Amino acid sequence: MRSLLIFFISFIWAQTTIAQYAGYKPVADLTAFKKQFATEAVKINSITSNFKQEKTLTALTETITSHGSFNFKRANKVKLEYTRPFAYTMVMNGDKMQVKDDGHENTVNLKSNKLFQQINRIVVDCIQGTILDSKDFSSKVFENQKEFLLEMTPTSKTLKGFFQTVILVVEKKDYSVDSIKMNEPSGDTTIITFTEKKINAPVSDAIFAF
Amino acid sequence: MRPSPMRFLLSSILFVLAGCASDYKGLKVVTVDQECLSRIKPVALNTAWYDAGIDVVGKHISGLLLIKEMPDKSKRLVFTSEAGVTLFDFGFDATGDFKVYYIIKQLDKKAVVRLLRDDFALLLGIPFESPVWKSWEMGNERYFGVSEKNENHYFITDKDCGSLQRLESASKRTKKLTISMTGNDASKPDSITLQHHTFAMKINLKKLDR
Repeated sequence: MRSLLIFFISFIWAQTTIAQYAGYKPVADLTAFKKQFATEAVKINSITSNFKQEKTLTALTETITSHGSFNFKRANKVKLEYTRPFAYTMVMNGDKMQVKDDGHENTVNLKSNKLFQQINRIVVDCIQGTILDSKDFSSKVFENQKEFLLEMTPTSKTLKGFFQTVILVVEKKDYSVDSIKMNEPSGDTTIITFTEKKINAPVSDAIFAF
Repeated sequence: MRPSPMRFLLSSILFVLAGCASDYKGLKVVTVDQECLSRIKPVALNTAWYDAGIDVVGKHISGLLLIKEMPDKSKRLVFTSEAGVTLFDFGFDATGDFKVYYIIKQLDKKAVVRLLRDDFALLLGIPFESPVWKSWEMGNERYFGVSEKNENHYFITDKDCGSLQRLESASKRTKKLTISMTGNDASKPDSITLQHHTFAMKINLKKLDR
């Protein structure tokens, strides 16, 4: 009887997993993956890329698509620039972050703002391959032939208020992030897909200056 | 030369009296022009996304605002950050009743919600559903007004009733909020400004071309 119950639970769990991430199966050796992810991500010194962001308000059947460029330079320089249909730039450089929109500039010292500090840490952890060791999330890892899929569930109350899960798709060929999907508690989703990625192309420090 | 104490006292009294003068003192009651009323009365806004900037007591907040007309004639207003996180989701049903569908903890303050509710109600023309209208003239403008509890809501046209100039909400004597719009399509304005007069707050909305 007990083994039958276990069989059914395993069966339902397997079905749920398959239904959730079609074409992916759980990674067999998580420890090996973690090690490999961190080792390979260290080789990424810079990323330049374009991105497409799709925010879907599920209950309202509304999607807004925006486009822009993304730049990363080791160790902690990140620039996200939306160019259409609105202009908005976010730059993280060391322990400072600047946001520019429509002529307004706002610089935040990350040391004095816990939430921004956390956001900065998560972004850098995702790119540097250390997100699986992060205390901000508990993670499950799946894979298909070309990609790894990291399902990250927030552990802190603050992050749980914003996200139910964050899904990171990482390319097997260079361990770079292909897309980020944020599932909100309301059922709304945001998917950021990176395109025309250039890994380790020269990136000037000047673009992160403010 | 220093002003004498008496002169100082007199100017202070004049200043205080000027401060107490009603913003609507010059209004002269006129017969309601039903043709002008039905032609210029603010129309319901159609579905559109706006680039939003909120300046409130020295702070600047930016994001995207969706105004959506639902099939059942109810309205939804969803404010998200540029990166996609939903910050609030408000609704007015077909009878004008207000509902908070979602709001992040950091914004969930009674005074904030009430303020935004009143601002958006005027923007959507909800007080203008009233059947009881009054009309006035002042300078080169015509005022059409409705009363609700201790507040008056106006829409203002030029003297010839050629076009809508702006919307206003006021207490008996003091102007509290002005809403101005630009663009050729009144149901989808190119830009909208909500300017508060009793404290430092301004909301700027620019329609996004999707």
